[in-house]
Amino acid sequence: MFDNFLIRKDSLKNDYKEGKAVGFQFAVKIADYRGCFLSLHNGYYIECDGVEYDRSAQTFEVNGKGERTFEELKKCVWEHWDYATEAIVHVKKDGGLAPGMHTIRLQQSILMQYGYAPWDEEWVKNPPVPGSGQGSGKSSFIFAYELQLNEGGNDDE
Amino acid sequence: MSERMNTQSQNKPAAIKRGVSLYSYQQQQFFEKMDWKDMIREVHDNLHTDGIEIIMDSIVPRYPFPTEQFIYDWNNTMARYNMKAVTADVFLDVHQFRDHVMNHEEAALRLKNDIIIASKMGFENVRTLSSVPIDVIEMALETAEKYGVRIGKEIHFPIPIKQRTQKKNKYGMSAVRDFRLVQQIIDLKEKTGSPFVGLVPDFGIFQHKASKVTVDYERRNAKYPEEVDFIVENRDKLSFDDLVDLAHEKYPDGEMTITSMERLAVHESISQPEDIVDIIPYILSIHGKFYDMTEIPGKPGCYEEACIDYENPVKYLKACGYEGYIDSEYEGQRDQQDMGYEGLADEVEQVRRHHEMLARLIGE
Repeated sequence: MFDNFLIRKDSLKNDYKEGKAVGFQFAVKIADYRGCFLSLHNGYYIECDGVEYDRSAQTFEVNGKGERTFEELKKCVWEHWDYATEAIVHVKKDGGLAPGMHTIRLQQSILMQYGYAPWDEEWVKNPPVPGSGQGSGKSSFIFAYELQLNEGGNDDE
Repeated sequence: MSERMNTQSQNKPAAIKRGVSLYSYQQQQFFEKMDWKDMIREVHDNLHTDGIEIIMDSIVPRYPFPTEQFIYDWNNTMARYNMKAVTADVFLDVHQFRDHVMNHEEAALRLKNDIIIASKMGFENVRTLSSVPIDVIEMALETAEKYGVRIGKEIHFPIPIKQRTQKKNKYGMSAVRDFRLVQQIIDLKEKTGSPFVGLVPDFGIFQHKASKVTVDYERRNAKYPEEVDFIVENRDKLSFDDLVDLAHEKYPDGEMTITSMERLAVHESISQPEDIVDIIPYILSIHGKFYDMTEIPGKPGCYEEACIDYENPVKYLKACGYEGYIDSEYEGQRDQQDMGYEGLADEVEQVRRHHEMLARLIGE
C-alpha cells in the first residue's frame, strides 16, 4: 500500500553531530490503513544507492520522543504510531550523503496480521528479517524512491 | 435484537439503511486531505445518510487510550450532524508483546477494552476479525452486555456462510482459516441466549472475479506480467493448489506472492446470494466491500461493481426484512497507488457512486 508515497519526497536530509555528517534521514508514514503499536515495528529493508543498511544502522523517531532503536521499540508495547502520522527514519552512515539525486529502496516490516497464524511462535523466537518478504504486511514489494538531497555531506572535506 | 426489529417494523416498512466505513477514505486521511470530521460531513451532506463505521485503530488518536477530549469531540460531531455510530472495527495483533504470542485471555482483555472505547463513542457494535477464536468472544461477552455494545464476527473471504465442500486448500488464506465461524457464532448465541453476539458479513463473499483494478496492479508490478495472465486465464480450469504449483513450475523465479495469486484466482463467489437468508437474524451490520464502481453501459449516472454481486443478495435482504446498515467499504484505492499522484483513485467519487447503487437497489 501507498507504494509511491511511503517516503515524503522532499524529506531527505543529512544528520549531523558536532558539525559532522553521521548519516541521513527521511520522513515515512505507515504502509497500512491503520496505526500500530510501536512494539510491532520490526524495522525496514533500506538500500541507498546500492548499499544495504540493516536494522542495526536504523533508528526511528516518532511521537516527539527522539531517536529509538528497533530493539528499544520492541518494548513500547502500549505506545501507538497513529495512522497517517509522520515519523523519521535515521540511518547511520559516516559522512552522510552527497548533494544530488539518491535512490532509496525500502520495505517496511511491521508484525501486524489478522489474528493468529501458524508462524507465530517462530516470529517470537526469530522475527523476520526486513526485506525477506515475510512480515512485510501491506508493503507488498520493495519500493524505489528517487530523492533529491539539496545540501550536506562531508564528501568535500 | 429481534424484539427491537419487530418494534421498528410496526411503525414503518423494513428498509435497509446506508452507511460508510471511514476506511473508504483511508487515502484521503493518509495525505491529510480529509480528517474524520470531513468524512462525517461528506456522508451527511452528499450521501444524505447517517451510518458511520470506523477502523478504531485509524480514527482514534492515541489508541487504545483515547483522551476525554477526543471522545467528547467525536460525540459532539456525531450529534451535530445527527449521525449513527454503527460499527467500530477492531483487530487482533497477537505479536503486540513481542516476548510471547498473546494468549486468549490477553486477547479477550484487548477486546473488552475496545468494547469500552466503542461504548464511549456511541457505537452499537464492534466487529472482530473472522480469525478471532470463539472463546475470546465468549470471554468478552459479559463486558459487551454491561456496556451495551454487540460483538459481530466478520464473515470475510475466504470463509463462506455455508461450507459447500470439505476440501481445504494447501495454499493461501483458506488453508489457515477456521471455516466453522458461522456455526460457532450461532452456537454461542444459542448457548448464552445473548443478543450481544452476531455476524458482520462482508460483500467480498459475493465477489465472483478479480477486479480489473487488481489485475492491472498485479500486471504492472509483476516480474513476469504473463504470469498474471496465466493465472487469470486458468483460474476456472484448475484448482487453486494446482494453479500455484503450475505457476511456480512455469515461472520458477517469478516473485509473485501467494496472496497476489489468491486474489487473482477468484472466479466464483464463495457464497451464494440465497445463503444469506439463514443468517439474517444474526446480522448486526454488513460491510459493502467494493473495488471499482463503473458506469452501467447505456445508463448514465447509474453505477455497478462489476466483480461483486450486490443485486441478488440485496434482494434477499429486502425480502427477509433486514433493516440494518450496509456500510460502504472501498478497497480499490490501494491497487492504484503505484502510478504517482495523477494515478490515484478518487475515493469520494467512488463512495458516492456506491451509494447511488445502494439507494437504487434498496429502493429508496
